[in-house]
Amino acid sequence: MLYKRDTRLEHTAKLAADVHPYAAENCSETLVVQKKILIVDDSPSQVRLMQGLLETEGYQPVGLNDPRRIEEIITAEGPSVILLDVVMPERNGFQVCRELKSNTKFNAIPVILVTSKDTPSDRYWGEQQGADGYVTKPFTREELLRAVRRFA
Amino acid sequence: MPNSNVLIVTDESEFARLLTACWQAERQAPGITVLGSDLWSEHEEIEHELVVVGPLRESKLSEVLKSLAPATAVILCAPAEPRELSQLRSRCPRLVHIPLREDWTQTLLLVAGESLRRSEALRAVRQAEKKASRNEHHATLGRYMIDMKHSVNNALTSMLGNAELLLLEPGQLSQQSLAQIKTIHSMALRINEIMQRFSSLATEMREAENASQAETADAFLSRPHRR
Repeated sequence: MLYKRDTRLEHTAKLAADVHPYAAENCSETLVVQKKILIVDDSPSQVRLMQGLLETEGYQPVGLNDPRRIEEIITAEGPSVILLDVVMPERNGFQVCRELKSNTKFNAIPVILVTSKDTPSDRYWGEQQGADGYVTKPFTREELLRAVRRFA
Repeated sequence: MPNSNVLIVTDESEFARLLTACWQAERQAPGITVLGSDLWSEHEEIEHELVVVGPLRESKLSEVLKSLAPATAVILCAPAEPRELSQLRSRCPRLVHIPLREDWTQTLLLVAGESLRRSEALRAVRQAEKKASRNEHHATLGRYMIDMKHSVNNALTSMLGNAELLLLEPGQLSQQSLAQIKTIHSMALRINEIMQRFSSLATEMREAENASQAETADAFLSRPHRR
């Protein structure tokens, strides 16, 4: 299932330039820019929660429950950051991360693993798969936003 | 083989004296008990990895061998007819006959050494099997705990996150609802702390287990091995 919300927040031209450098030239004071964050988690309640938390900061979250469709959704939505759960049926987060990072079409998009797997070996293994960030569940709103702000 | 026990059953004191002296000249001698056939009892309580049967009084040989458990390793160092030997072997499958010829002590020590090493290896296997079984139980429990932890953490994420979302707009809530949500939020944080403590306990237990395994391996490697 794909979740999209129609929330629109006004950002400055500087923020627009972060997304598309050439956009700054055409940017007016009322330009609406929303950084898309793709949330991949098999739990709908977790997706809804992260969407809610990200919207408070002006991001445009896109939720996805089925990790098998991630390439299709990235191509369609062009997210700035991907928040990726690890323990998922069919295709786990480590596997998805490894495959995204070995694909030249997608490997520039930062991937943050958001998981309840919190041992040092889990973190190490996440790094080995090419993850750019790691947030352990349960997280606070600030922890999640801090991780996202590093990249978007 | 300092932890092994050998029982010598003989009515010839010279046989027992010579064999004991030869064994004691070795670097690693087992514990040796010597008994005459008169003192032999079917209800012997000491556990022996090996029984050496030397010359006995007439008709005592059969009586002694009959009372041994079939799995006992036996070295027979007494004259025996081939037919009698065959009968004895059917009763004690691990019986080895060493005729009392020249250098019989050297032959006996070699055979006894191999037999004791086999017993020791079997004991180690049994211990390892017991330990593996225990570890299997612990692993099952550990897997269950990891599953539970995952579920608890997911539930906590929802509790904490949704409480934080509600607290972002306190104006929309009554004073009572606000206080209740704050309580839910702080309780969720407390459960999270408890879960963290469980995690550190698990880490400490894992470290203790690794240290214990390393100690066992060191002890095993540092034992003298004769060849």
